[in-house]
Amino acid sequence: MEAIADGDANRQLQQIRTFITRKVDGIVLVPKDAQTCIPAIKAANEAGIPIVLFNRPAADAPGVKSTAIVADNRKLTRETVAFMTEQARKTGKKHKAMVIIGDLGDINAVGRKDGFYDTAKGQDAVLEVVAEVPSEWNQEKARAGVVNALQANPDISFIFSSSDFLFPSIVAALKSANKYHKIGEPGHVFLGGFDGDATAYQMLVEGYLDATGVQDVYFEAEQSVQALLDQMAKKDVATLILDPGFVIHQGNLAEKKSRMWGANVSKK
Amino acid sequence: MTAAETPNPPAAPANAWQFVRRGLLSDYLVLWLSVVYFAVLAPFTPGFASESNLQTILAYALPILVVSVGLTLVLIIGGIDLSVTSMIALASVVGGKIMSADEGWLAGNALAIPVGLLAMLLVGATLGAVNGFAVTVCRIPAFIATLTTMMFVSGLAIWFTLSRKIGGLPPNFLLIGQQLWIVAAITGVATWLAHSALARTLYGRWLYAIGHNTRAALVSGVPVQRVIFFTYVVCGLFAGLAAILLTAGLETGNPEMARDNLLDIVGAVVIGGTSLYGGKGRVIGTVFGVLFLALVDNSLNLLGLHFYTITMIKGGVILAAALTDALRNKLLASR
Repeated sequence: MEAIADGDANRQLQQIRTFITRKVDGIVLVPKDAQTCIPAIKAANEAGIPIVLFNRPAADAPGVKSTAIVADNRKLTRETVAFMTEQARKTGKKHKAMVIIGDLGDINAVGRKDGFYDTAKGQDAVLEVVAEVPSEWNQEKARAGVVNALQANPDISFIFSSSDFLFPSIVAALKSANKYHKIGEPGHVFLGGFDGDATAYQMLVEGYLDATGVQDVYFEAEQSVQALLDQMAKKDVATLILDPGFVIHQGNLAEKKSRMWGANVSKK
Repeated sequence: MTAAETPNPPAAPANAWQFVRRGLLSDYLVLWLSVVYFAVLAPFTPGFASESNLQTILAYALPILVVSVGLTLVLIIGGIDLSVTSMIALASVVGGKIMSADEGWLAGNALAIPVGLLAMLLVGATLGAVNGFAVTVCRIPAFIATLTTMMFVSGLAIWFTLSRKIGGLPPNFLLIGQQLWIVAAITGVATWLAHSALARTLYGRWLYAIGHNTRAALVSGVPVQRVIFFTYVVCGLFAGLAAILLTAGLETGNPEMARDNLLDIVGAVVIGGTSLYGGKGRVIGTVFGVLFLALVDNSLNLLGLHFYTITMIKGGVILAAALTDALRNKLLASR
């Protein structure tokens, strides 16, 4: 059975209860957020049905048992920004940087923001962070924020987006400021992201994107099924399984693209 | 064959038409539809009639019913309130901010729960008063006034929490949402009060009078502006009450609470026979409307239909209800 809550936490809870009514053997839940999924996990626990959280862990709550398979957002962002910084260092110039952050109620967004600053803070010779744009995972907000930041700091030349799905907004803003150029062309703005979606893949292929941190969804899916099977077999399963992911860039695109979910979606 | 033995062929269609006509004009049409829908779907839908599933249906439907009942009163006076879901969101986060053990203003204080509950109701009533003021004093059309409130309050709820969900709510508060009988009792009392006010009081008669013809009601001595203002306040109060049930049920103060429920709420009221033009509607009809929509939603989920398919079917059901209402009006006019 499959159900889509379309961002409605109350509907998601009802859907989980419906699954329990249908006496499913296990549930894979992509939680709306860390808090509102707790009653759903409790309901599954009470019914004795194994439950695995995909891509987002639940907040701490006493007596609530689940396994979460999550990308190591902080580490992967740190690695992605480190790669971008090394590329920027090669220009011999100091770059003004912008970071677009997600909904800070989302633990994934917090991890990515922290990962960005983990790397950026030690790179004073290469980077100066001049703009932090809150997007709340909203493309319109991201676009308005990027436009404003580019007007305030027209010499921004380094942008990290906490999610690839915001790239259409960022690209539109860069195009209006006449700052969207391929890698190696004069005026190129270093661009990096997180997720590994189809837009990011296309931008890599076309030579506009420097790097993105790819969530290895195949690894996450395999681990989700395995965790369910292990829970059914009454084996001990870790409460958190981290997907290390990988950084994809121009240098390893051919080698890594088969594992990039956005590349495979793009083919279809 | 003699004349006495000859059957009368036109009688059967005439009787069938009378049956359909009576059904269409019945106040219990939606209830009968719900019963028939349940009876037809139950054998083919695994778990549909199970006790746990009936509890799931109620847990989803009861908070929706509370806010729908408030909206019914507003629709009867010929108004509309599009801001009820944003009121729920703001009330949810204000209650969370007061009660949360993690970040609550009254964390650990014995008064946290009563103050939190009161504040949630007060948020709803205050926003209802803002709508009432905009409609009665500023003479802004209800659609625009409440649309503006919805936009402002939705943004306010997100700004107030910086998009964060608020956990750590007191266990005694969560009991309200976890015990179905408590949700049912609160909903039952609120619904009964609204039903009684509408069916048995002068206030109820004023609502119908305003909805039928505002000018005639004014000439007849109905304090039209005060009644309209008060009705929006009551609607807000019901939204605040729904916020309590939803927040306790989801164990979270959520600035996006009920964001996507407006279709279910307005749809249930319309299916229940309340006219969008005012002057017609009953609380019991809304109860049946909520029940029917919850049954449809739940059964389609159990059948494994895609979310978008379910939304389309629900849209079709609401359209059918509106068409049926038009047909009923035509039949009544031809009596």
